[in-house]
Amino acid sequence: MSVTAMDSSVARSRFTERRSTRKAVLIWSFLAPSLVIFLLYRILPLAWNVLLSFEAWSPLKPAVFIGFDNYREMFQDDDVFWQALWNTLGIIASAPLGIAIALGLALLVNSNIRGRDVYRTLIFLSYPLMTVAVAIIWRWMFDERVGLINYVARSLHLTDQPIPFLNSFTWALPCVIAANIWQMLGFYMIIILTGLQTIPGNLYEAAEIDGANSFRRFLRITLPLLRPSLFLCFVIGMLNSVTSFDLIYVMTNGGPGHATEILVTYIYKLAFNQTRFDYAAAITVVFFLLLLAVTWGANRLSGGNVGAVEYD
Amino acid sequence: MARQRRHWPIHLVLIAACFVMLVPFYWVLKTSVSGENIFSYPPSIIPRDPHLFYYVDVWYAIPFARYFLNSVVVSVLTIIANVVLNAMAGYSLTQAFAGKQIVLMLFLSCMMIPFQATIIPAYLITGKLGLLDSYLGLALPMFSTIICIFVFKASFDAVPRSLLDAARVDGLSEWLIIWKVMMPLAKAAVATNVILSFIWSWNNFMWPLIATRSQDMQTLPLGLARFISYQEDTTGALYAFCIMVLAPGILLFLLAQKEFVQGLTTGATKG
Repeated sequence: MSVTAMDSSVARSRFTERRSTRKAVLIWSFLAPSLVIFLLYRILPLAWNVLLSFEAWSPLKPAVFIGFDNYREMFQDDDVFWQALWNTLGIIASAPLGIAIALGLALLVNSNIRGRDVYRTLIFLSYPLMTVAVAIIWRWMFDERVGLINYVARSLHLTDQPIPFLNSFTWALPCVIAANIWQMLGFYMIIILTGLQTIPGNLYEAAEIDGANSFRRFLRITLPLLRPSLFLCFVIGMLNSVTSFDLIYVMTNGGPGHATEILVTYIYKLAFNQTRFDYAAAITVVFFLLLLAVTWGANRLSGGNVGAVEYD
Repeated sequence: MARQRRHWPIHLVLIAACFVMLVPFYWVLKTSVSGENIFSYPPSIIPRDPHLFYYVDVWYAIPFARYFLNSVVVSVLTIIANVVLNAMAGYSLTQAFAGKQIVLMLFLSCMMIPFQATIIPAYLITGKLGLLDSYLGLALPMFSTIICIFVFKASFDAVPRSLLDAARVDGLSEWLIIWKVMMPLAKAAVATNVILSFIWSWNNFMWPLIATRSQDMQTLPLGLARFISYQEDTTGALYAFCIMVLAPGILLFLLAQKEFVQGLTTGATKG
């Protein structure tokens, strides 16, 4: 190799190096605004919550480190916290019911019938709507005096007295859950439909030739292949439902008593009505760990690819 | 013919499902145009003496125009920021660079943090930035969304490499490549971004509830919730308000259903 050739190759590599550094700077500057938003409103709050949960602090008092006192109060003395925790778990447990209904509807919509797009649109319509308005709609449906549900129940003589659904300790939580399922149903259905369309049709043909009836085909082909979609529904639906602050705030505001209190509404009330930021932060930490645990569990059950992204 | 006959049970079930999905809307719509006392029993199934009085009433009962303006300003800010920031971030993720895995991991873990679990520090941070009770403060937390970044990434990944190389040979900077080459080819991704960020910011309730103090800064969902706490549910104007707030969302959804569904399923399967 001659001297000049070596020189030029060094120069070239220096040139490409400079170009690639410039490009890296450029790429990071493209990412920077989004990263700043996520650091500011996702990562930093998470760390701050943890810090705050070990302190006694309010906007007027200087912070004092108090160890696990907030957590001790929460687990030992706070009945409302336990109620809110159970209600939150109840809402999580109701997600599979919604998913099962959506699965049935998705199978029907997926069949080769006329007007399937119309059905799909109408069932999906409730999902993108403003939850506050949905809450008002359902308040009105459940209304004690002239709500449609009471009217139908009384017309069919299911009950003599109108039921004050949202003011009743027994009925309030199921009513809120029903409204939540009503809003999420279309979303579940869309995700399941997308999953159904990825199942190759020749599997069904082969099974039919082998003499499997439609129920067995559903059990042996559809359900196993849909597993990732179903668990995806569960994770997203769960995250959406337990954080449906608007629905509960407007429908019942956690009442009657604390019958429909969920962790998010309780956190809000503690922080912004009672200025107990420190204690609310401790509950937030527990709430977040609960979500992580449920998501992790669902992920394990689904075969581990919920939320997976193709790396390339 | 036999085929069509076999389908009638399916139609029956689906019609029943659609009925359940639509009846609540109808019940509120009926109340909002009905002329009778809304508490008369038994409630009428079809509106009696229909009129639009309640829709006029809304304008006197609450500062509807102000709420509407606030909602529009916050939504427009959010949409513009989302399209610009997400396109930039999405483009970066199509390139190879040191630290890409870390960024991807960071994005994925951020998706696991629901906004509701960050409200207290988010409030304190926004306060420190001096942005409480301002349009920017209302929109800032939603300026960039991870799902939408992946929507752009998926769309940019589909652009042939040779086109990029040609643009670089022509001397276009990376910045211009995004706007002159990539964006025109990613119209569907832009539409998805616009629709998703509009729906999210238009419907957002919890953050405006926390981050606004004065009534002048309140958005439509807050106005709706405030209306119900002042007036209870004693007036049909509440339901007229409800319909007025829902209408733009329904209209947009019906017009752009395809992009909306695409965004949700991309977001769901990619992240």
